[in-house]
Amino acid sequence: MATIAVPLEAQAEQHEAEAVRRPALSEYLRWSVDHKIIGVQYGVASFLFFLVGGAMAMGIRLELWTPTLDLMVSGSAYNSLFTMHGTIMIFLFIIPMWAAFGNFVVPLQLGAKDMAFPWLNAFAFWLIPPAAIVILLGYFVTPAEAGWTSYPPLSTLFSGDGQTLWALGAHLLGISSIMGSINFIVTILNMRPPQMTVWRMPLLCWAVLATSIIAVMATPFLAGALTLLLLDRVAGTTFFDAAGGGDVLLWQNIFWFYSHPAVYIMVLPGMGVLSEVLSIHCRKPVFGYRMVGLSSMGIAFVGFTVWAHHMFTSLQPELRIPFMITTMIIAVPTGIKMFSWLGTIWGGKMRFTSALLFALGFMSMFVIGGITGVMLAALPFDIHVHDTYFVVSHFHFVLFGGSVFAIYAALYHWFPKVTGRMMNERLGRIHFAFTYFGFLFTFFPMHIVGMLGMPRRVAVYDPNFTEWNQLISFAAFVLGFSTFIVVYNVIHSYFHGPVAGANPWRALTLEWATTSPPPVTNFADDPIPFEDPYGYGTEASVAYLEAVEAAFDGGRPGS
Amino acid sequence: MENNRSNIPSISPAAVVVTAIFLLVSVIGINWFTTFVPQILPEQASAESKSVDELFYILVIIGGVVFFLIQGMLLVSVIFFRARDDDRSDGPTYHGNPLLELIWTIIPSLVVVYLAVISFNVWNQNSEPKAAVNMIDGAETVIRVTGARYAWTHNYETSRLNPEGAPIVINSGDKLHTYIGQNVDLELRTQDVIHSYWVPAMRVKQDLLPGDPEAGGRPTEIRFTPVRVDGVEYPAEYPIVCAELCGDGHGRMRGTVVVYEDEAQFMAEFYEPAIHAILNPPADPVLRGEIVIQEYICNSCHTLDSLGWSSRTGPSMNGIADRAGERVAGQSAEEYIAISVWNAQAFVVPGYNEQMAVFGPDQTDANKMSAEQLYAIVAYLCTQGEQSDCDNENNTVAIPEAIKTAFGLEVDITFGQGDDEAESATSETDDEAGESEQDNAETSDASQ
Repeated sequence: MATIAVPLEAQAEQHEAEAVRRPALSEYLRWSVDHKIIGVQYGVASFLFFLVGGAMAMGIRLELWTPTLDLMVSGSAYNSLFTMHGTIMIFLFIIPMWAAFGNFVVPLQLGAKDMAFPWLNAFAFWLIPPAAIVILLGYFVTPAEAGWTSYPPLSTLFSGDGQTLWALGAHLLGISSIMGSINFIVTILNMRPPQMTVWRMPLLCWAVLATSIIAVMATPFLAGALTLLLLDRVAGTTFFDAAGGGDVLLWQNIFWFYSHPAVYIMVLPGMGVLSEVLSIHCRKPVFGYRMVGLSSMGIAFVGFTVWAHHMFTSLQPELRIPFMITTMIIAVPTGIKMFSWLGTIWGGKMRFTSALLFALGFMSMFVIGGITGVMLAALPFDIHVHDTYFVVSHFHFVLFGGSVFAIYAALYHWFPKVTGRMMNERLGRIHFAFTYFGFLFTFFPMHIVGMLGMPRRVAVYDPNFTEWNQLISFAAFVLGFSTFIVVYNVIHSYFHGPVAGANPWRALTLEWATTSPPPVTNFADDPIPFEDPYGYGTEASVAYLEAVEAAFDGGRPGS
Repeated sequence: MENNRSNIPSISPAAVVVTAIFLLVSVIGINWFTTFVPQILPEQASAESKSVDELFYILVIIGGVVFFLIQGMLLVSVIFFRARDDDRSDGPTYHGNPLLELIWTIIPSLVVVYLAVISFNVWNQNSEPKAAVNMIDGAETVIRVTGARYAWTHNYETSRLNPEGAPIVINSGDKLHTYIGQNVDLELRTQDVIHSYWVPAMRVKQDLLPGDPEAGGRPTEIRFTPVRVDGVEYPAEYPIVCAELCGDGHGRMRGTVVVYEDEAQFMAEFYEPAIHAILNPPADPVLRGEIVIQEYICNSCHTLDSLGWSSRTGPSMNGIADRAGERVAGQSAEEYIAISVWNAQAFVVPGYNEQMAVFGPDQTDANKMSAEQLYAIVAYLCTQGEQSDCDNENNTVAIPEAIKTAFGLEVDITFGQGDDEAESATSETDDEAGESEQDNAETSDASQ
């Protein structure tokens, strides 16, 4: 029944000489076509941008401590601050961060030696630094101040050169994203071992596949929108200028046709991570594997039909209803995932590792983002809260309560594989507690100020909301502080963490059937995956895990 | 492992008890939350607000059930399915249950259909065009709202006529005046970027979209009907907020909806005084100027202590009369101020950009300005300083040639007794019949 043993032992022998040798730090600073190096490059770079964007968020909350303008010199300065915050967090943190985990983990889970196009992979990464430099430089000339959504004519007729640089930078990042996604699609569809049918693929691969399909289909629309914006700004065209026959809604349509699916680009890989982490740390198969995999595809598909709900207050009234319906429908596949995860942990043997805590935190917070998502889909209610702090709250529940919690879960889960060292679990739990409560008290009250009448993107607000905002700002500072804990934990564990061994979580997927960190070619031979990536609790799986442990002499229990 | 065979993994009786307690807590929690909801929404000041809030209650109840269900199951799992430290065994190999999966696909689908249907009904009910809109004095009135960075302007095209026989237009600045039961239907236009007209107490919001100025812009519409709110003293005031990022002053782009108790109060406290003020403007140009300058959106960018303005987007107007004469060689203070108001691009104060709009008789809505209004403003600004450089004798204002050409004037403007003559001197290009007559309409803001 268990189809293992021989190839694993062969590998282990062959790897003995070079096993557990970590790449020198200088290798991460150079051009490399090794997917593991590139994954770390993506990860470290995007985490640095997370710190920059987070510092900007702290500036935003400091400004909002009082209802008047005090920290910032002008409303424009505040506008450019949150414009950069949004741009950095979306384009330079979350999207490339998923490329980091995708790069490192997906080829290993497939038992492949690298991505399908290693050179393209490196090129996609190396587009990010110049793009970031262009965008950040824009902040120091006349900065973009039209928000990350950059609605014309504010972003065309009424903005300075920083807006042009913003568009150029976003263009480069779009190209990077398309190239990375093509690579993932080809890798996942072609480089699986013969025994691994799509229905035996780990769910992270399913999620990355769905994400990459979205990215390849949607990102060209961003490129189109940005091209038109650039032409309007520098070449005198009037695509978005009504005086020249243009239409401002053209931008909104094209932009959201990319940017709504982009939300799923940012959250679907997190859902894949969740399926992995919950199953492994609760020692139970993923409940309803097929439905979880298919619901990723369902979300990807329906996600393309909902974009205009971002335009409920500007769209012609008769077009609003169809988008309300499609938006509500997307709750169904999302609900399937949520209930399947509950089914996965129900009756399991939960190990409260930091990775599992963040995965549970994701479920607990993301459900709020889902509920408010359905509320926002309800057109008459949306009209009231559109463009208010209710929306700010909603998308932070999705993108922080969702994506960032999943990124942390992934970090604690795969750090041992990447570095060969375990992270400090006690610090991880402290980090989780600060993040969870800091996050909850930062973003939950935003629903209320939004409903009471506070629009988003304002530095000056009704003094009646001062107390709410001070509560939010205080919690935001706690949340900001929590980041230092994980930064310390990562650096400290990299040098001083206990040695992890090949399979510290006793997981069945293939990335754990090699040394930590894996050798340059990942596997000596073509590895044979266990028959069921989540088949915990069977005698065969126990035998397989014992074989892995014996082969690498390093498998040890998690915590 | 027995669990492998049973459909749903068995749990201890304690888990059942906890689940029961949790369900009870959820019911109480949702119940408590719905009583709390009115405190997290603004007053229900419109007919629309009631149906929108009812929809919200339903969303909160359904959302609350989902919330407590999922958090509850998480809590139960965390308490009961925790592995002991020495337990290295795995959980039951349980791959799923098609029936259960079907249930949690179908039930949410049905809920979503239900929510879509009730939302559609509320939307239909609220967006249905009303028969008699903006009824004032027994007639429908056009109310135009202009959004310009960073202020709102409301114009009422009334059924009353001025001595020339043209409809009087009341400009009530950033205030919308209405009364309980009036079916408000506003025509929204923007002069620059996208704005969004939001009245939280009415639960309505609509973007203002830039359109081709030659085609009269791209008007959008917003409708609501104010209703009585218990325990409120009338006239009641509710904020208008700009909800779409429009630039530097987005946060302070605000206005006020003034709701009167009934049409009688509306007529007595707003409408008639406004008409009266238009038909009988103060003879003193300074007094007139003080009224006129507040009809425009100058306050959204400039500081002027005497009127309580404090915005910093444009240069300060404090003490302008002392400086104006020295700005440009060979130009009088009056001339400088007049040209600056009419066409600010002529002299841009160092350190500021070229944002200010052009005002004049050929501009539309919020930027429309007659020569009279311009000179009332000049006369008023000439008083803003210790020792004014302006020469403003005999209520006559000398007019720079550039402005005479732009405004189509032939003679200088005289205030007071010579009023009628002065007005006939302003020959306008009449492309929008009636509307352009609004030049003549002076305004007062009854609520100020």
